[in-house]
Amino acid sequence: MARPQALMIQIATGDPRPISKQIVDAVRMKIATAELAPGDQLPSVRGLAQQLTVNPNTVAKAYAELTGEGWLESRQGLGLYVATPRQRLSDAERERRLDDAIGRFVNDVIALDYPPGEVQARLELEFRALAPRRSA
Amino acid sequence: MSEPSSDFVIETEALCKRYGNKLALDDLDLRIPRGRIHAVVGANGAGKSTLFRILLGFLPQTSGQARILGRDSSALKPEDRGRIGFVNEEHTLPGWMTVGAVAAMQRHQYALWRQEAFDEVIGHYHVLMEQKVGQLSRGERAGFNLALALAQSPELLVLDEPTLGLDVVAKRAFLESLLYGNAAEQCTVIYCSHQMEEVERVADNLVILEHGRLVNMSAPDDFRARVSHWIADLPFKGPDPRSVPGLLEQQRLDGLQHYVVLDQGEAFGDFLRAAGARSMQSMPVSLDRAVNGFLAKNHAAPAREDVR
Repeated sequence: MARPQALMIQIATGDPRPISKQIVDAVRMKIATAELAPGDQLPSVRGLAQQLTVNPNTVAKAYAELTGEGWLESRQGLGLYVATPRQRLSDAERERRLDDAIGRFVNDVIALDYPPGEVQARLELEFRALAPRRSA
Repeated sequence: MSEPSSDFVIETEALCKRYGNKLALDDLDLRIPRGRIHAVVGANGAGKSTLFRILLGFLPQTSGQARILGRDSSALKPEDRGRIGFVNEEHTLPGWMTVGAVAAMQRHQYALWRQEAFDEVIGHYHVLMEQKVGQLSRGERAGFNLALALAQSPELLVLDEPTLGLDVVAKRAFLESLLYGNAAEQCTVIYCSHQMEEVERVADNLVILEHGRLVNMSAPDDFRARVSHWIADLPFKGPDPRSVPGLLEQQRLDGLQHYVVLDQGEAFGDFLRAAGARSMQSMPVSLDRAVNGFLAKNHAAPAREDVR
């Protein structure tokens, strides 16, 4: 019998993001970096709640949001699984989010005073580090 | 008397309690629905302890109505009390009795005693039945108390600062039995605590009392979303604090004015601009900051000499 994938995530109290939002962000990140692959089973609501010492309703809320956005799918009586990827955002929205993210990144990095070429090389390395996990 | 309602575990109407000239509960209307975990927070003196003493029938109210599990609080029968579990911060139990003897006494007392619930909760702690209660650590006493309360199969479990003074391990064990055990599955939990870290982890609903009145009842995240933190570059000292809408806290740091405000949308930016702000930013706050800012707002402070 297949077991749920371990979900190595951390949450913090005292964060401006609600705990359910922290879980949503963490799971999305795992999927985006292919640490979680389509077809992987998520921990049960109770299991993840216990792992993080939070109210099970908080985990249920995060899972509902992830399911609503198409990141997860539920299989009748079996649990929740990572859904097969499809483009979840409109082109305009993707464009907007990319602009935002680049804007934030440039703002953070500009003050560090590295030559742009070096920053680009480091970025390239980071992306390459993600790649092997994707094919694993 | 009205019909016992099953929708609310706690219902008060225009409940007042006066100690001399001081109103501990001020026309309090509170309805807590059945099911889930409800955190009750408030500054010291907000009326939490008075409220629970009245609800449990230990103290008469000055006026108004108080019902618990649909029963009038002033006329609770032993079988009604059996439906309510209560754990307080003191974990007061007879120190000279053994754990086993106390458990046997309670088992005898409560018709719906569930030994498996008791065993499940006490299993989180290294407690021996032949140990004297007085020899238990604070954390063990808390766990023992919770085990006793849950074993009576309560419909309502009232926890008053139950984890105060417990170490990290004992706290975690306590929360685990409460959140994931089968023992607590069927009951509504009222959780009074000052510890926002715990409230954030456990609460489905956040009830805030202030000066004996109900000032918030919503999901914790919804409450947090009502509060925001603005930082503005304002000339001189900025506008008169009394003119700042929704102000909870303000501070001037490194020449910048910080405001924590309630229920202010983007319009607060317009207010700051009108007040001469050269630049401004806003950000969300943590639950801890939101609640503490809210409670600090009306906190009594000695009259300041320098304002005369």
